[in-house]
Amino acid sequence: MKRTLFIIKITFTLLVLALAILPVILSSHPWPEASRDYLYEHALTDTGAVNTVSSIYLGYRAMDTLGETLVLLVSITGTMGILINLGRESEEEEAVSFSLAPEKRPTNAQRTHLLEVVSSKLGPVVLLFGFYVMLYGHISPGGGFQGGVIVASAIVFLALGTETQTKLTNTNVLGRIEALSFLVLIIAATSGVFFESGFFGNPIKSGSSLSANFIILLNIIIGLKVGTSIAVMCIAMMGGRRGH
Amino acid sequence: MVIERILIFLLALIGFTAIVGAKNIIKKVFGLNILNAAVVLLYILEGSRIGDQAPILGEGITNMVDPVPQALMLTAIVIGVCVTALALALAVRLYKATGSLEIDTISERLRSEH
Amino acid sequence: MTFLLLSMILALGSFALLSKDLLHSVIALSALSMLSALMFTILKAPDVAITEAAVGAGVSTIIFVWAIRHTRRRSKD
Repeated sequence: MKRTLFIIKITFTLLVLALAILPVILSSHPWPEASRDYLYEHALTDTGAVNTVSSIYLGYRAMDTLGETLVLLVSITGTMGILINLGRESEEEEAVSFSLAPEKRPTNAQRTHLLEVVSSKLGPVVLLFGFYVMLYGHISPGGGFQGGVIVASAIVFLALGTETQTKLTNTNVLGRIEALSFLVLIIAATSGVFFESGFFGNPIKSGSSLSANFIILLNIIIGLKVGTSIAVMCIAMMGGRRGH
Repeated sequence: MVIERILIFLLALIGFTAIVGAKNIIKKVFGLNILNAAVVLLYILEGSRIGDQAPILGEGITNMVDPVPQALMLTAIVIGVCVTALALALAVRLYKATGSLEIDTISERLRSEH
Repeated sequence: MTFLLLSMILALGSFALLSKDLLHSVIALSALSMLSALMFTILKAPDVAITEAAVGAGVSTIIFVWAIRHTRRRSKD
């Protein structure tokens, strides 16, 4: 009886939802073309970026990017605050979760040596590719977010391997890079006010040959911020925190 | 065509059913992810009907795809992964506090503790 | 081509919700992200394709596997 009532309730909810969304699905209104035509004419001269999508979210609508960076900061802070206090059961569980020195690894660990060697050799290659995607965001597909997530994956690779001894997997160093890049983002945003272009405006006058530099700077800052914050969260999930 | 929109609408319905009707908390988070994917697919599909070249200006580009929905969906994908991370951290915290992942058992145990 | 990819995405989505083993569902979600990244490339949206591939098959899978590891792997429903 309870099960039939449950199924009836779910079916009723789905019918109401379908009725609300169906006019969108079956409409034949054509997609408007005015924004595409305007951007085709003016995107290169207004912002200096050949990639039109980059010129939208870093030039015309940079406030949305600032809000998204803030959402990322708040959610990663909340996740870290919850998972740092989860507690640890035993040392044996620690052994399969993060990379240990070879003399402390127990003999029946569930991870073979193959994973650690391969990922520590692949880590620097992926890091280089991440920086390439980040820096060439204004002329080819890519940009700040894409490069940042690839850099975060590369730092996770480096943390899984035992052959590397770098400071890049230390959570203190990564936390400081993230805070510093957020500060530089705020400074770059307010510098437009003093150069008479409005908030988040381009401080270099558009039309000269240097006007794409602001977009490159924003790409680097956003990429570093996104990359290091996601890497800190993943390293804390794997068990190594506070400078293992 | 209309058939692709109907398939995306079915995907959104599946995601919504999982959020409302699943008994396991992690399956509810799966549903949130699937709903996010369906919305992103719908916007990019609709934006791609008015042109046939990628929106990167260069030589010989005359008829490019609408770039505005693509810029909006970049933000949507990143925010989706942030919400998933926070929801899963809360689910693990609930498991450590009550010992189970089904919502009926969790509400019973939480009610009997007070 | 988009019709074929959409029907495969639908099948993977329903498999992820009907399976009793949560690790199988996580692999199905990762495959769903890869197929939708392929579909974004066909629909001429390269920025969104790179983001979906890096986020869906990278960070999101790591987070789900961590959550399953600290709780149970089988679900009763």
